[in-house]
Amino acid sequence: MSADIAIRVRGLATRFGAQIVHDGLDLDVRRGEILGVVGPSGSGKSVLLREIVGLDRASAGSIDYPAFSGREPRLGVMFQDGALFSNLTVLENVEAPLREHTHLTPALRGEIAALKLSMAGLKPDSHHKKPAQISGGMRKRAAVARAIALDPELLFLDEPTAGLDPIAAEQFDRMVLELAKALGLTVFLVTHDLDTLYAVCDRVAVLYGGKVAAIGALDEVAASASGWVKEYFCGPRGRAAHRNTAAGVGHGN
Amino acid sequence: MARSAAFELSQDGGTSVLALAGDWTIDTIAELEPALRSLSPLPGAELDVSALGRFDVAGAYVVVRTLGEPRGAPPIAVRGDHVNARRLLQVVLSAAAAPAEPPERPRGLLGVLQQTGRAAADISQEILETVSFLGETLATLGQLLMRPRRLRWVSIVHVMEQAGLNALPIVTLLSFFIGLVVAYLGARILGDFGASVFTVELVAFSMLREFAVVITAVLLAGRTNSAFTAEIGAMKMRQEIDAMRVMGIAPMEALVAPRVIAMVVMAPLLTLAAMLAGIAGGLLVTWASLGVSPTMFFTRISDAVPEQHFWVGMVKAPVFALTLAIIGCKQGLSVGGDVGSLGKRVTSSVVQSIFMVILLDALFALWFLEMDW
Repeated sequence: MSADIAIRVRGLATRFGAQIVHDGLDLDVRRGEILGVVGPSGSGKSVLLREIVGLDRASAGSIDYPAFSGREPRLGVMFQDGALFSNLTVLENVEAPLREHTHLTPALRGEIAALKLSMAGLKPDSHHKKPAQISGGMRKRAAVARAIALDPELLFLDEPTAGLDPIAAEQFDRMVLELAKALGLTVFLVTHDLDTLYAVCDRVAVLYGGKVAAIGALDEVAASASGWVKEYFCGPRGRAAHRNTAAGVGHGN
Repeated sequence: MARSAAFELSQDGGTSVLALAGDWTIDTIAELEPALRSLSPLPGAELDVSALGRFDVAGAYVVVRTLGEPRGAPPIAVRGDHVNARRLLQVVLSAAAAPAEPPERPRGLLGVLQQTGRAAADISQEILETVSFLGETLATLGQLLMRPRRLRWVSIVHVMEQAGLNALPIVTLLSFFIGLVVAYLGARILGDFGASVFTVELVAFSMLREFAVVITAVLLAGRTNSAFTAEIGAMKMRQEIDAMRVMGIAPMEALVAPRVIAMVVMAPLLTLAAMLAGIAGGLLVTWASLGVSPTMFFTRISDAVPEQHFWVGMVKAPVFALTLAIIGCKQGLSVGGDVGSLGKRVTSSVVQSIFMVILLDALFALWFLEMDW
């Protein structure tokens, strides 16, 4: 059913000179799911994200959005280090897309921005600080708040938990899960964090060798794994993350 | 296509019912907002969502706000079915928090006074820091002089190329033009007094004593100082300077000293080039419009212009270069964590160095004239 496919990537090829990043990559992201994208460093995860959101162009192939019947879906992107505008306060950062794309009165704009920040778990006392004055974890939350400022249909997260301590990462995972379920978001999540994968993702896609090497529910992918995928999921870290989820120590659900 | 939002307030057996229709999203609520604001608050009202189209967090927020205080409100009674209305209203109710007051900023006269005071304090702080940076740099240079093996020749030569050699075309070109202009002025104005032969002296004096070195310094301030500040500032922002410190590499030795040394060496050479280019410009004009042949021009210079004028200009070059390099490096090291401070530091680097060049030049002029040099 094409109405269920939020993002459809077909035959995607990306080359930087002689270096081949994607080589005929096919990927479907279903509407309303949280898809985790993993793969070794340099496998083109972030490049794929950039191509889907339109920052980079692929050398060949197509990307479209069948579920949105021809119109461009609204996108929200959270970049790896937040990419908050450093000369604006946190609140002004979230207001920025609202200011550009809506005709709200300044008062209502501020209220909605504050609501988005508190949905992302940021307390009001940090709303008027500059990004440089808050911690890394709070910056990531502010970045998520900015990404959901316009109520996007597709949310892209690039390494959301990189550089967070385990507790902050767990809280962040839970926040993403709650937001995605509450707002009915389709989430494209690039990550290296196995705990995040187990905690929040409905499905995972493994990029390897320029293609999607495996895609499906996490257990299936882990069970049928071979090669790099097997090492990834069945290595010591993969097993530990899986054990935690199985024992109920994991988070999210 | 989005349908515009609409609502209707009715009474149903003592309770007010707010019926929503159309799309209530961030794109549509703007026009409705004033009407809703005048309606609020509606404590205990029920919500009818059966005719509601698309609904998002912003829409849910204005609904919650209209029905009353968002904070700690009881759950809203909802009539009718909707795909996500109940969920979104719940999200908004649980996320709503007391807004923080923006920090107080003094306005009016008090604000102006406060800003002025702060600026004055900043300036004196800046002067103090720059002077102490000068001391630190001189100490580092002294230490390097004792142990010349610690000098980083590769960096020095690199900076000499970037800041010195690559600036040669623009420095010579500009000072050639200045030479032309001075000679034209001389030919015209001195000609009125029948003294146009003195144009040669005018060009030689002004180029040798002042223009060549000041043009060079101002160009270096715009071209090289901004580069120094931006380079060092970007390194500071990316914690590269911290990484050097941790490795036991002193930034003063690795970053500041090579730049200072390279500038002090290259500025006199650039000044020399500027002097020659300026005089060549003067030569061209006197030759073309006054008919002074090149041979006559140079004979006159060697007869009428004592050598000391050359040295008066030349001796300023290393002083200017030291000042420029120190301001550029100091501003770079003062860059903070954010992008705004980088821009501010590059600006003050260029402004301060041009200011200092002109100020020092005036002091030099005073000194040399008093000394009759």
